[in-house]
Amino acid sequence: MSAATLPSSAASARPRWWQNRTIRRFARHKLAVIGLVMIVIMIFACVVGPHLLPYDELYIDLRARFAPPLTGSHIFGTDPLGRDIAARLFNAGRISLLVGFFAMVLSTLIGTVIGVVAGYYGGRVGAVLMRFVDAFLSFPSIFLLLALAAFVKPSPFMITVIIAVTSWMEIARLVEAEVRSLRERDFVLAARMLGLPNGWIMFRELLPNAVGPIIVAATLTVARAILLEAYISFLGYGIQPPLPSWGNMLNGAQQYLDKAPWLAIVPGVAITLAVTSFNFIGDGLRDALDARSDLN
Amino acid sequence: MLSYLLNRLWQSLILLVLVSTIGFAVLNLAPGGPLSQFALTPGMTREALDRIAEQMGLNRPLPIQYLDWAWRLLQGDWGTSYRDQRPVLEIISGHLFATLLLMGSSTLISILVGTWIGIKGATKRYSLFDYTATIGAMVALSIPTFWFGLVAIYVFALKLKWLPAGSMYTIGDQSFSDYAIHLIMPSLVLALVNIAVWSRYMRTATLDVINQDFVRTARAKGLAPRRVLMKHVVGNALLPMITLAGLQLPTILGGALVTETVFTWPGMGRLFLDSLGYHDYPVVMGLLMFSAILVLAGSLIADLLVALVDPRIRLG
Amino acid sequence: MSDTKKPFMNTTRRQALGLLALGASGVVMTGLPGFSRAFAQGTKDAKGQLTVGFSQEPTVFNPHMPHIEVDEGIHFSIFDPLFYVDEKGAFVAALAAEVPTVENGGISADGLSWKVKLRNDVKWHDGTPFTAEDVKFTLELLVDPNFRSWRKTGHEFVRELTVVSPTEITWKMEKPFAPYPSILASTFITPKHALGSAADRNTAPYNNAPIGTGPFKWKERVAGDYILLEANKDYFGAGPHIETLIYKYVPDLNVLYTQFKTGDIDVVGLQWITPDHYDEAKALEGKVVTVVPGSTVESFTLNMERPQFKDPKVRKALYHAIDKQSIIDALYYGLPTPTESYVPQQSFYYNPDLPKHEYSMEKAKALLDDAGWMPGADGIRAKDGVKLAFTCSTTAGNHIREQVQQYMQQSFKDLGIEMTISNLPPAVMWGDYWMLSKFDSVIVGLDFLTGPDPDTSDFFRSTSSAAKGGAGQNTWQFANKEVDDLLAKGGSLFVPEERKAAYFKIQEIMRAELPFLPLFQYATVRGHKQGVENVVFNINTRIDTWNVGSWTVS
Repeated sequence: MSAATLPSSAASARPRWWQNRTIRRFARHKLAVIGLVMIVIMIFACVVGPHLLPYDELYIDLRARFAPPLTGSHIFGTDPLGRDIAARLFNAGRISLLVGFFAMVLSTLIGTVIGVVAGYYGGRVGAVLMRFVDAFLSFPSIFLLLALAAFVKPSPFMITVIIAVTSWMEIARLVEAEVRSLRERDFVLAARMLGLPNGWIMFRELLPNAVGPIIVAATLTVARAILLEAYISFLGYGIQPPLPSWGNMLNGAQQYLDKAPWLAIVPGVAITLAVTSFNFIGDGLRDALDARSDLN
Repeated sequence: MLSYLLNRLWQSLILLVLVSTIGFAVLNLAPGGPLSQFALTPGMTREALDRIAEQMGLNRPLPIQYLDWAWRLLQGDWGTSYRDQRPVLEIISGHLFATLLLMGSSTLISILVGTWIGIKGATKRYSLFDYTATIGAMVALSIPTFWFGLVAIYVFALKLKWLPAGSMYTIGDQSFSDYAIHLIMPSLVLALVNIAVWSRYMRTATLDVINQDFVRTARAKGLAPRRVLMKHVVGNALLPMITLAGLQLPTILGGALVTETVFTWPGMGRLFLDSLGYHDYPVVMGLLMFSAILVLAGSLIADLLVALVDPRIRLG
Repeated sequence: MSDTKKPFMNTTRRQALGLLALGASGVVMTGLPGFSRAFAQGTKDAKGQLTVGFSQEPTVFNPHMPHIEVDEGIHFSIFDPLFYVDEKGAFVAALAAEVPTVENGGISADGLSWKVKLRNDVKWHDGTPFTAEDVKFTLELLVDPNFRSWRKTGHEFVRELTVVSPTEITWKMEKPFAPYPSILASTFITPKHALGSAADRNTAPYNNAPIGTGPFKWKERVAGDYILLEANKDYFGAGPHIETLIYKYVPDLNVLYTQFKTGDIDVVGLQWITPDHYDEAKALEGKVVTVVPGSTVESFTLNMERPQFKDPKVRKALYHAIDKQSIIDALYYGLPTPTESYVPQQSFYYNPDLPKHEYSMEKAKALLDDAGWMPGADGIRAKDGVKLAFTCSTTAGNHIREQVQQYMQQSFKDLGIEMTISNLPPAVMWGDYWMLSKFDSVIVGLDFLTGPDPDTSDFFRSTSSAAKGGAGQNTWQFANKEVDDLLAKGGSLFVPEERKAAYFKIQEIMRAELPFLPLFQYATVRGHKQGVENVVFNINTRIDTWNVGSWTVS
């Protein structure tokens, strides 16, 4: 947004100009910093955790089923097949975080390309593309997600793709609006007169102006994607066992709610922590990238 | 104004066509079909299933099936459910009440509470209340609704035994209080997210208004601060909320889906899941169209309302 | 039984004359007091309200349209067949004045001519008298090409339907078809005057407000929620004893159980109480909770056309590697009965002498080593370029089965066999994926028998695979000449004792060949509150409410 109000022709100087201030502003945002720290800890735990635990996340031991937390070295207890929940939780975190991250990358790519193209060309191309965006937005995303999940092999890769396919629209809208508002500006007209190719103008001249909002939206998309994975896996259409994900650890937990509530509580807390952290970071980034926040 | 309306309607129509083709394609390209549920019946044969499929017109090419469906829809016929041979519209309206009841009460709660939190947060900016509300909203937005529902069931139904674990009412006792007691948990769980959304938007909107000239003028005139707040600030801050309310309309289906599953609430979200599971395409398509129409109508009504309320905006 | 033996000697098709003979014994039993579905005239003492909970929603009320088992719960309440099968496997007259048999002249000695005498005191729920015209209408409707008929089997052989009088109907069979009595026993008679007048019987309003002759009348339905029936005070039988009967749809088994505990539901119906709740449930005060055997047999089904499974030693090794007892004891709480056969153990045709399954990883390993399946670089066994790797599918959302899969997966992995779990939503799972044998392996519960009849031609005959152009449900693509011959032979014999040998042999072969690895016969935990009487389990019907007309509530 900041760059949008102060269009600079010196593209190369631009990043350095706002980077430091942004980081400073971000660092002042306590919640965002907390979020960032939590995410780093979680990623660390998911990467290192499984190697420290004495259990394999897939090892079934029917004699040890439904052990409550803190039984022996099962810090989070065991599931209905006697598998160690802590081991499953950390491995599930790898899957869930990766799905969230790559769904974000993919949906940001789709949304950005469609948004830039629609905004830059406008007219008929823009109208058609934006109607597509509207059409996708007209489905409640969970509907579309379930309908799609019903006919693909639910591997982590396909789940990532499906989540991306249902979450790119907001970024597309955002980018389209930004690009549309800029495309008649002097620097764009100048670039056109210089005979620069459209692709160059779109992605090198116009797109950098929308980077701020895109980063914010992308961070929030990670949070959303983790939630969506949890939803569809909870309903049984997502990541398939024995591969653990935070969502499918919850699938079936309702059945044992009375007897083994930790089955539901442990992964639920993990999801909430991860999603909250990403939302905090997104909020912090929004403030940090918004020049106006300095005025307050 | 009229040309604006016509233009919007035309765009909406194109959208509906797009939504229906995408939906129809996604559903019908999936393997399996509505007859699969009969496969495990003792004595069922492939031959019998083929015959029934033929009679139901399921063997026709997809484009033909789509056009047939669309043509009937244009004539007001939403089709017939494969599961119980009843008109789709009748089935949807049968589940509408449950969903409206749940969404209505949770929306009401969230608007009231959310608006209050938002205004208070904006007027007492950077106070402890404001911080707590901000953090609370962020966390609320991050909790998976179904999981929160599960935890609520565990605490209030299984452990404390204060509230029923699910359903909309007890059969035989369909009194107001019976509905109310069943409504408490699902509507509060569902409201949690919406309170967060509303309070965030209301806080921003109030802040935008609070620093504008006419508010300062009103204060300068010596009006009581409370009066300024209620009359000038809240009134103007609520304006953008109308748009938000319009945009929230579509979440009626999506938002309720998971909550209805957890609380076995007999609404449209559950209907969608049941129908999807049985590949009852006419009902699923009906629900998709229904929600798409809600989305379009919601945003249209929101725009019109804003134009009516705010003289500065002219549509055209 | 013996006197009906000779005339059937020449017939070629499967003949289960034993059924006809059983029917005869049923006639005798109608007069006995305390019978579970009494039909003696009596005073109506219908009172009180009873709520039955189902975890699936009944949605099809016309009994002749495609439906699932839960729908039959409603059908048994509203309609009557000519005669039905009781819990002992005997036929009992309902709308028929007596069960037609060879002895009483109802069926000709060659099985081709039928004569059914009907009761003269039956009225439809709207007051119209029931006559032979209704029977004719029903049997014609079932084969009407414009009607989405549930099942034509048997009915398609009926010719020359003639109404002799309002209380007598006759017809000829195109060929002798011994399972026909068991089919008729689940064919509910529908009214000509109400359904016959509809322009399109597939979408007739009748289908959502059915009129029958049964003990209960249709009152109202709230879709997605419940169905309310009220007592038919003019019922020709002894019942009903309940004034208001409610079928409540509770889609979640935990909620179903909770509502049973709290008393919101009096009788837990279809899908019943989950095994993990059994210990708690049987200790509940004021509730009667019992474990009841089901006719369904759970099996690990293999696609015999997959190269991995063509080797019989692989199938045997897989069977050895399944820790059946732990699965039953730990995951199913010890309720189901381990089995080696596809025939329910209560059946007359059940072969109890099949070799017992032995869980032995050593034997499994030895079998695979012998057969030349050797672990490759990735630890997975292979032979002639075929990897011992496959997918295993079942209905997504069946949590216990998903646990079973994962448990098996671990055992198989220890043997160097890679099993990938790939579960699918029901509509996908049981569509072409199942019917056209597109799976590698599937965990499925199947009712192999239709009613009490032991014929399984649709499942085992080599020509019954849809993937090979057949019309049945031989999704294993099992092909065995000897079984084909035995099925033909068993179908041409009619004395139960003689048939027995053929079906015992088939069970032996299936156990040896293992196209499916039999796991266990279902057991379900059923419950009702104290004071509800006559809730009797019947293995020959699919639904709990087969005799709901004789239930009483105090």
